[in-house]
Amino acid sequence: MGRYWQEFFLRNGTALALYLLISVACWMLLMIILPQIFMLDFSFRTNVPPPLWGTEAHGYTMEHYQYMVYGSAQSTDSYNFVDLSVFGRTILTAIFVTLIDVALCYPVAYYLAHVASGGWARLMVMALIVPFWVNELLRAFAFKIMFGSTGIINNFLVAIGILDQPFDFIRNGVALYSGLSYAYILLMIFPIYNAVESLDKNQIEAARDLGCPWWRIHWRVVIPHAKPGITSGCTMVFMLTAGALAAPQILGGPSSLWFTQIIYQAFNQAGNWARGSAYAIILLSTSIIFVLCMMKIFKVKLGEIAR
Amino acid sequence: MISDHIRKTFTILFVLGFFAYLFGPLIIMSLTAFNSSAFPRVTPWECFSVEWFQFLGKDAKLIEGLQNSIFIGIGVVVLAVPLGLSGALMLTQVKERVRPWYYTVTISPILVPGVVLGISTLLFWDRVGTMFGASRESVFYNGFFLTIIGQATFISAYTMLVFISRLQRFDRVQEEAALDLGATHVQTFRKILLPFLKPAIASAAVLAFLASFENYNTTVFTIVSESTLTTFLAAKVRHGINPSISALAVVIVALTLFGAALHEVFKRRELAAEKESARIAKGEQVTRRSKNRFITDPAVILIFLVTIAGLGTIYFAGTMGLDECKAAVKAEKQRVVQERVKKREQKSMFQDAGRQALTPVPKGAGAKSRPAPGTSNFQGLFSPDNLEEQAGTKEAEQEQEKTRAAGTEQFQGIFAPQNLEEQSGASEEQQ
Repeated sequence: MGRYWQEFFLRNGTALALYLLISVACWMLLMIILPQIFMLDFSFRTNVPPPLWGTEAHGYTMEHYQYMVYGSAQSTDSYNFVDLSVFGRTILTAIFVTLIDVALCYPVAYYLAHVASGGWARLMVMALIVPFWVNELLRAFAFKIMFGSTGIINNFLVAIGILDQPFDFIRNGVALYSGLSYAYILLMIFPIYNAVESLDKNQIEAARDLGCPWWRIHWRVVIPHAKPGITSGCTMVFMLTAGALAAPQILGGPSSLWFTQIIYQAFNQAGNWARGSAYAIILLSTSIIFVLCMMKIFKVKLGEIAR
Repeated sequence: MISDHIRKTFTILFVLGFFAYLFGPLIIMSLTAFNSSAFPRVTPWECFSVEWFQFLGKDAKLIEGLQNSIFIGIGVVVLAVPLGLSGALMLTQVKERVRPWYYTVTISPILVPGVVLGISTLLFWDRVGTMFGASRESVFYNGFFLTIIGQATFISAYTMLVFISRLQRFDRVQEEAALDLGATHVQTFRKILLPFLKPAIASAAVLAFLASFENYNTTVFTIVSESTLTTFLAAKVRHGINPSISALAVVIVALTLFGAALHEVFKRRELAAEKESARIAKGEQVTRRSKNRFITDPAVILIFLVTIAGLGTIYFAGTMGLDECKAAVKAEKQRVVQERVKKREQKSMFQDAGRQALTPVPKGAGAKSRPAPGTSNFQGLFSPDNLEEQAGTKEAEQEQEKTRAAGTEQFQGIFAPQNLEEQSGASEEQQ
């Protein structure tokens, strides 16, 4: 170990070596690892007012995790149906949104990488980046305008006679689903595009020459090749959707809650930081489990995902 | 063959639909900023107007949020660029065995939900503050400090990725040559590595600033009592929507597009510089173009002039004749209201007559019974088929009386039936 550090200092020079060590240590410890550990610790502590933090009264407890499952002691229900159903709905919706995004992005990515030619393809790839730069809140706001009861979609559907009165897209969650699918779609299309693009065109042609039908080419040649890209896109979209706050806040109907909104309420309205961190831990561990499952099922490494 | 054609057409339609999905909402939102209607919408189009933009300049909270966002953005750039750089430089030097772990930890903030990052930052520094016995006014509880730290946690990972991809093309031999020729380590870093990384630093800085500028999930927890542009925007959108948000959106979209274009320019330059140096290395003759060619480029100047002219035209078109147009729209709305009222009056009179002939109802027989005819204004008030519309009519009539009496134009159209439904729609959407 000693030799390694000696070499490290020799290779970089003292000043640079110190800069590297200090800044990396600060980043990893003070910003990434310790805050997560503190949050984990905090989630197991009782909810007492801030002046008592760190004192005897601030002991360890499982109450916040129990609350998530069983609800408060006063309630008559045996389980905390509200929070559990919100959690389940959030995860299911996130999976659903991820699947929609794969279905939307795969054909477009394939088209851009292998069918479209030269200048057009480049222009379209550039165009894909543009909405990504627009603020998440504004993208959700745009959907709110479109899906409102006098929004352009309702007006159009009423005008051509499909509906006789405006349909409440927001209350029915249609606006939320489309807004969420839209929000992170670019994190799906770029990994798939990069993966599909690296496929040798000759392979597709060889398969075609040998009489393979088009759907089989995709199933046996293109999709296996694009698998790391698809996995990485799915992981990113799922995690960001499950952790989204802006779109559910803006597009969620009066009755629909998103799990992050419950965390937000615990922090900002109930003032119960401990429960908020316990729920944040639950969200985080679910996300990690999802990533690990994806890595296991599709046999890709983390390095390939975060690219 | 035919099925091939069908498939091709279908694919192209699908791709077109995809791009429509991508841009449609943004375009519609941008258009609503120019409609004078009090509710952000495109149909029905009322008047072309830029008045919603004029509202923005007067909003003190907005200006404050914007300033805070810029301040935080600069702080994040200052913090995240060096951190990302050191992270990337470190990656090649850690031991082979540790490298995957190192990479996993440094990249993990990208995958961790922003909400979680915000909470953990808030909690951690709170506890650190308590440990040092710091007062509530100290830096550990300061919204700016916490936000910069919280955002830099994951933005450093972004910048690290930028630096890693640049460093992959770095030839270590250059460094060794400099060291062999007697340069110190600091000199080598400053004269060899930094110039090589310069384009990457520029694009990482732009990326970091933009990412910080538009972050919401982390900021909403770490900002404490301050406000940034995004938290201001979120509060505004949740408390009710009006076209001034669309106007703000247009401004932000324009600014972010500008930033994205800048980012693209840096990237292009990086590639061009690389090609040039590759050609120099091959010994080819390279004509050096002037350094400022971006600013002197005729195309850029043209775009600049067209933008200014376009903005000027939009401004004049949006302010000139706006009052006349609005008055016309108002008059039209009033006409529609009057027509409806007239129709209803006729209809209810007709029904009243008919009913009276059929079944004479005793006075005050019940809620559903009709009061004696002749109570002019409220004729047919209780007739069942009027129930749904009666509120609108009544208020419209009242509104007409008001205008007739006082001539105040201020409240015209507020109680018009079409407005009612949009108001109720808006209030529903606010929840």
